This record gives sequence, structure tokens and C-alpha cells, in this order.
Amino acid sequence: MKILLVDDEQKFVNMLAKRLALRGIEADVAYTGEEALKKAESAVYDVAVLDIKMPGISGTQLKRKLFTLHPSLNFIFVTGHGAVEKSEADGSEKDIYLSKPLDIDFLIETVQELTQTR
Amino acid sequence: MNDALNNMNIESLKFFGKVNASISHELKNILAIISETAGFLNDLTELAKQGKELKLSLLENCSNSIAEEIQRGFTTIKQMNRFSHSVDAPVMDVDLLDILDLMIGLTGFLSFAGKVRIEDKDQKLETITTCPFLLQNLIYRILCFAYECAGPEGEIRLRLSPEKGKGILLTVLNSAQMPVEKFPDEKIKQTAELLGVEFKKNDSFYELNLLIPYVCDKIKELEKNQ
Repeated sequence: MKILLVDDEQKFVNMLAKRLALRGIEADVAYTGEEALKKAESAVYDVAVLDIKMPGISGTQLKRKLFTLHPSLNFIFVTGHGAVEKSEADGSEKDIYLSKPLDIDFLIETVQELTQTR
Repeated sequence: MNDALNNMNIESLKFFGKVNASISHELKNILAIISETAGFLNDLTELAKQGKELKLSLLENCSNSIAEEIQRGFTTIKQMNRFSHSVDAPVMDVDLLDILDLMIGLTGFLSFAGKVRIEDKDQKLETITTCPFLLQNLIYRILCFAYECAGPEGEIRLRLSPEKGKGILLTVLNSAQMPVEKFPDEKIKQTAELLGVEFKKNDSFYELNLLIPYVCDKIKELEKNQ
């Protein structure tokens, strides 16, 4: 399983990637939407974990672009805001919204559910 | 005038909410980093219990990171506190540099915020008698307008020039062109009017000029009623 983590909070995604690696999950990190798109052009991911509010391309815009590149990609939105942002992201029922701080076990569980059921 | 004031009250409440939401977002980001770092330390402890070598440099990096984030949290909470106290009295004597510094900090939490710096930050300026909360609202909106024009890589400079007996001229210099014909919008105009702030026309697409008075009649009236 391979995950793409995208957040402009660099320490957050770096630490999350390390913790996922310790649990046997490969995760690439990108700090901007542009960087994430470059990575997605040369690699295939099962799940993209996106921050909604980022400088430049927002998480919502990034999702659309990534979806065009990889229609089978699953998405999880992670945000510092509450559930209110669900409407801001495109309201799609397929997407999962998690609030920071994350529970890593719940994140992994969610990733596994997404990849098994879709 | 009453309609304008009612609109201002609604807009002020929205502004207060917006700033508080951005602060809570910032604090959640800080806590998320601390939480992940603490989780990583826990992971390392579990591995050490299983006999894996524990690298001291990793522990040091984690503790430094936590300390940095705690400092970031303190700074954010101080800004939140300064902002909250700006509604203590409708009219106060304020240092414009302090207000700019706080608004740069608070707008910095927005995802589209760019770089801003104040030129000649150490200059001594006369205080201005104003409604600090409304002035913050005005500066916040102007900075947001400038950021949206500049983009994430842009740079904004703020220049303050005292005008004897009148007030302080605030010049917003943007590295990118600004659609100056769209400035000021209705909300900025209404806030500026209540504060007696005057927009100075110029031919440049790269700068905005506004004269913030040392005091104005509307503020004097507000001060009398407080």
C-alpha cells in the first residue's frame, strides 16, 4: 500500500510518514499541491491524504487534478478545522474527513477500509 | 448612518469569528505536530523495549521540535489575547506599528498569506486615537486584498510616514499588480469612513495609500459616549 501525504505543515507530514513507515506503510510527502501533482505523475498511490487549506492549489482543487490522473485513487481530507469544511471540499460522500490531531490507528484503519472496499 | 452601523456590527462579528477560527486552526496544527511527535517518541520507546537501538539524535530532534511548537503556540496565544483585548474599549490610543504587527501575525494563519514586512519598524510614531477593533478589521481586509493579488510567492511591504497634524500615511507596496479599480470595496470603504481614514489616489498598480488620522470627529463622538 502506498500513501501520498500532502500538507503545508511540513513537520506534521514528515512525522506522520515516519510513523506510517514504522507500521509498514509506505508514504510519500508533498508540501504543496504542485509538488503532489509532480509525485503523482511518476508514482501510483492507493490513498491521498490531503490538507484542505494550502497555499496555491487547495486540497479540493488538488483532489480534482489527482482524480483526473488516477481515477481509482482514494481520498482522505485532513484539516485543522472541524466538520464544517466538508461542504467546502466538494461535499462528495466518497471522501473521508479527519480532524487534526490524528489518531494514527484510526487513520490506518480508514485507509485499509478505503482500499479494501473500493 | 444607522444602517451603516448595523452592517458594521454584523461585519465586525463576522471578522471576530473569522479571526478566531483561523487561530483555532493554527492551534490545531500545532497540537497535531506535537501529537505526532509524541506518538513517534512512543513508537521509538516500544521499539527500544523490543531491543532495537534508540538513536539519541532522534530523541533530540523530537524534543527540539516539541519545544519549537510550544513556542509557536505561545506566540499564537499571545496574539489571540492581544486581539481579544482590542474590544475592551471602543476608543483607545494605539501604536499603529503594534496593530500592523498583530494583523500581520493573524493574517499569517490564512492559507493565501504571503510575506509581509514593515519598513523602518523601529521608528517612533505618535499614537493614534481610534477604535482599535475597527482599525484591525480595516488592516486585515487590506492585507487580505494585497495577499490575493500577490499570490503565495509575492511580497508586501508596509511603509509608515507621519503627516504632521493629520495622521500617519500607510503605504502598501505589493510585488504584484493590484486591481486598484476594485479598491476599496464597499466593506473597506464603510470601515474606513467610520475611522476617518482617507484613501489617497495614485497612478501605481503596485501601491495603496491611506491616511489614518490621529483622531477624527466620529471617533471623538464615540469617545464621548464611551
